[in-house]
Amino acid sequence: MSLHPVFARPRNLEQAGEVLGSLSSGAMIIAGGQELMPSVNYGMLMPEVYVDIGQVKELQGISESDGEIHIGALTVHRDVQDNEVTQTKLPLLAYAAAQVGGGWQVHNRGTIGGNIVSMHPLYDIVPSLLALDAEVDVLKGGKINRIALASLMKDASHGLGSEALLVRVIVKPITAAAGWAYEKLKITAGGYGSANAAAIVTKDGDNISSLRVVVGAVSALPHDLSGVLTGLVGQAWSDALAGEIEAKVSAAVSNPLSDHQGDGTWRKAMAGVVARRAVAAAAFKAQ
Amino acid sequence: MEDMLEDTVLVNLRINGKLYELEIPPHKSLLDLLRDDLNLTGTHMGCMTGHCGACTVSIDGRVAKSCITLAATLGRAKITTIEGLAKDDGTLSAVQQAFWDEAGFQCAFCAPGMLLCTSELLDGNPDPTDEDIEKALAGNLCRCTGYQSIRRAVKAAIASRQQQADQVAE
Repeated sequence: MSLHPVFARPRNLEQAGEVLGSLSSGAMIIAGGQELMPSVNYGMLMPEVYVDIGQVKELQGISESDGEIHIGALTVHRDVQDNEVTQTKLPLLAYAAAQVGGGWQVHNRGTIGGNIVSMHPLYDIVPSLLALDAEVDVLKGGKINRIALASLMKDASHGLGSEALLVRVIVKPITAAAGWAYEKLKITAGGYGSANAAAIVTKDGDNISSLRVVVGAVSALPHDLSGVLTGLVGQAWSDALAGEIEAKVSAAVSNPLSDHQGDGTWRKAMAGVVARRAVAAAAFKAQ
Repeated sequence: MEDMLEDTVLVNLRINGKLYELEIPPHKSLLDLLRDDLNLTGTHMGCMTGHCGACTVSIDGRVAKSCITLAATLGRAKITTIEGLAKDDGTLSAVQQAFWDEAGFQCAFCAPGMLLCTSELLDGNPDPTDEDIEKALAGNLCRCTGYQSIRRAVKAAIASRQQQADQVAE
């Protein structure tokens, strides 16, 4: 055991799986480092081994096949914003990636995989991915399993274990007729949100025919509130409907965060506000 | 798998045009490498959490916060620090000159982030909108100016680079 941490640089996915499987929980994966390094700098995490996955080709790039878009876990926020496939087929995700805090410097290095597994309640990517019913490929014990992203959002840790590696995110494009929006209530342009909401709306004539709303940054985990709002499907947009969405979403936030972004009572109220704004913007865009 | 574990990591970095072959401990940040080992102290240590942007450098043409970048992960990267913006003879870059002329800074602790983000913005988009400027600079905190002099300096840099481009075209 050395006094300072050691380093491993697997060259491919197989090696990455093997090296993670052979190490204890003191090993930590480093990709962009935008979540890990602040925690290391402040002594909250002290990795014994850094596993640098930056060379693993299988974790890189955005591609499309059989109606699915595959986003490698190492894809940085700037590439999610600027890539033609994500811009045209997943505009909600491309837009949300542009709202990540920390500016270009963080967008250039922070990865979609790191954003997910950090399980940070104030981060911007997961609400949109949940609204899009995203799945993830996870490497563990030499095998890749595809699971719903929502299944990782059960408690404050994702439950994958230190030997697992998130390989890619899989998302199906939304239809051209669907409207989408991501609303982030924030104090400064580059900062964390105090409440955020991703919404996807389809319409049949003037009436809303389907509604997905996921609220983030107000509780320990992003909250999919589509189920709470199913009773509102079938109605046309109106001020009364907007008020009902705000009230139902706010009421559904039972254990709000209370931190430097704002106290719990206010966060609970703001959950309703961002949800209302997101649905309004998405309903306006839907054809 | 034990043979995969390294106590030190060999990187070959091109920093401000000069090649460095460095054997570094795995936990060293790029900020510490630049400041402590290479004496490039123009890159400032601010918050150490990635919020303030004072430690900004450019890695392979894209800005990054060096305090939250692990040096061992950089392999063969090309890095530009604030020291690399001016020419060897000391002539300031168009962006630096514009910040000087417009008194863009007061204390200039945030200069690395403001100058490198502005340089990356103008390299990719010679005629940015106000919104483009705000997005490009969003990762930098200035506690002196209220940002108006910085915005003025960025606009002066846009004009100056366009003037230079026009002169080349003529």
